[in-house]
Amino acid sequence: MAHYEEVTVRGYDEFCQAISERKGKDIFAYFSGDKDAQGKSWCPDCVTAEPVVRGEMTHLPEGSVFIYCQVGERAYWKDSNNQFKKTLKLSGVPTLLRYGTPQKLVEDECFKSDLVRMMFTED
Amino acid sequence: MPPIENDTGKNELKSQIQLLIDSNQVMVFSKSYCPYCVKVKDLFKELKLEFNVMELDLMEDGTNYQDMLLEMTGQKSVPNVFINKTHVGGCDKTMQAHKDGSLQQLLCGESEAYDYDLIVIGGGSGGLACSKEAAALGKKAMVLDYVVPTPKGTTWGLGGTCVNVGCIPKKLMHQTAMLGTAIQDARKFGWEIDESVKHNWDTMKEAVNNYIGSLNWGYRVALRDKNVNYVNAYAEFVEPHKIKATNKRGKETFYTAAKFVLATGERPRYLGIPGDKEYCITSDDLFSLPHCPGKTLVIGASYVALECGGFLAGLGLDVTVMVRSILLRGFDQEMANRAGEHMEEHGVKFLRKYVPVKVEELEAGSPGRLKVTAKSTESDEVIEGEYNTVLIAVGRDACTDKIGLDKTGVKVNPKTGKIPVSDEEQTNVPHIYAIGDILEGKWELTPVAIQAGRLLARRLYGGGTLKCDYINVPTTVFTPLEYGCCGLSEDRAIELYGQENLEVFHSLFWPLEFTVPNRDNNKCYAKIICNKLDNDRVIGFHYLGPNAGEVTQGFGTAMKCGATKEQLDNTIGIHPTCAEVFTTLEVTKSSGGDITQSGC
Repeated sequence: MAHYEEVTVRGYDEFCQAISERKGKDIFAYFSGDKDAQGKSWCPDCVTAEPVVRGEMTHLPEGSVFIYCQVGERAYWKDSNNQFKKTLKLSGVPTLLRYGTPQKLVEDECFKSDLVRMMFTED
Repeated sequence: MPPIENDTGKNELKSQIQLLIDSNQVMVFSKSYCPYCVKVKDLFKELKLEFNVMELDLMEDGTNYQDMLLEMTGQKSVPNVFINKTHVGGCDKTMQAHKDGSLQQLLCGESEAYDYDLIVIGGGSGGLACSKEAAALGKKAMVLDYVVPTPKGTTWGLGGTCVNVGCIPKKLMHQTAMLGTAIQDARKFGWEIDESVKHNWDTMKEAVNNYIGSLNWGYRVALRDKNVNYVNAYAEFVEPHKIKATNKRGKETFYTAAKFVLATGERPRYLGIPGDKEYCITSDDLFSLPHCPGKTLVIGASYVALECGGFLAGLGLDVTVMVRSILLRGFDQEMANRAGEHMEEHGVKFLRKYVPVKVEELEAGSPGRLKVTAKSTESDEVIEGEYNTVLIAVGRDACTDKIGLDKTGVKVNPKTGKIPVSDEEQTNVPHIYAIGDILEGKWELTPVAIQAGRLLARRLYGGGTLKCDYINVPTTVFTPLEYGCCGLSEDRAIELYGQENLEVFHSLFWPLEFTVPNRDNNKCYAKIICNKLDNDRVIGFHYLGPNAGEVTQGFGTAMKCGATKEQLDNTIGIHPTCAEVFTTLEVTKSSGGDITQSGC
């Protein structure tokens, strides 16, 4: 058994649902462009970042939650009025954040394993 | 000085000498006239080595030093050279060591033994800039930052005063207050706004603190990204090259470094009267106060006092400022008084020439009720007042007394706690530098600390030669009517140059945006001080009006370029703006001419 829970969701509504079911927990959320049938995201930065983020997941705190969220197709994401940008104030994908805190790594920051580890291991 | 006979004196001298040997990579005991000493000093200069020299012939007790050195090393003659705590010897021995490479070995041996090239104590604007620059230049750098909680228990994240409890929250709350004025003005411009406009402290506080939180995180990301090791622990020296770091769980870790930068900043001073720490707050608490402060007494007339009092009044609170003597000490007094008058006209009460003697709690609560007793500075009169919150803003003290500086020999001004440094930010101990608010006789401003820190790192590690220029630093006080300045105050200019050698040009002005709401006519004021002996060069720039920071910044550059009155006159103004007033200043103060303005 992993010491953290991993949840996979797609779209804003599923994301909110996942959050509301885990109130009070230490939640990390990773937002990525949707993957195609071959499992490849339309977002090249997400393709680069994912193995880096996954590589650090063993450092996630005990009892925490990791939500893997696909934000949608490219066209939906590019709309500056999409829910992720409007409500969650995301500015790019990939984004890794600690929900309810200012801690956030955006785009190429997610390529850096020591930054990801800092978020997972420090307050 | 007579020879030292007693043992205590001898031991003291011995430990002084040992401290010099321990704290300097290269230490030379020398005599200024001795050609062999010159030869050794020239060698170290040629090798571009940092070395400390003590010229024994220029010191009162030089012979005592020489006697002690004989006792310690068996060598009486000078130069007496030490490298990395190892006694090398005199001129011949040093030259020989250079020739056979043992000198280099001695030098390298020790620097590899340190954990870090540079340890910066204090993660404020200056410390962060310095450590990041050092790391960017390939050095192994560490920065330690630890916020000792206020008596009220307030604490904050990485980034220092400016970001957490200074410039950033202050300006955002000043902006909050100005928006309130804008809402009032808006009605005159035709906006139909509900009469019951209210302000919510919690909403503002949350928004401001969320923004600060994102900055704290951003600094941590930047340090990690640039390979600066950030440690959230309290640092104090235990040896000249070694510090003890204590984290919040009390765990102690020791680190050594070849060089250190002190960047610990300042914290608000308390009054030392009954009830001050128990019941009063300072600016360290205000910006994250969990409740609206309510009726507030601000004690002090520093810029912190006037800025905080100003925005609290702008939020609609009942604000009183208790002033011992003058407003904004050190700033141009005419400008300070004009800024104060404007506050007074906008409902801030001033209790002048009073000092508080005690603060008592009448009722606990959020906020509670406090009783403040104060006495006149001129008579026996005692007054009392009741407030919800008492904010102390009577000055700030350098955090230099609890960082083990006695273990390093770094000189601290015993009265002020400030650290005197050379024009290269070097303390009297060559491997220890200091930047920012703790420097004696320097500006207490974030951008100055950043500039000093960055340039210091470039000089130490990047072959840089540029020094921080502390002259003509522009700054702005965010009182309700903002005050921007650069260069000398009129008071200081008169002291330095004499009234007869100065020409002061000034004018009142009425910002266009104030005309329609019909407020604050002839309250804004512009003044420049010109040196008649130097082509009417502008040596003082003063502006009281909207957007003072934005206006003053560019004129700061002009002054760095040596702007003269003629050049200002030849500059074409931007119409309609406030700043354009500086291109058309005609009335001199000495003429006593009319400076009131009416329209274009």
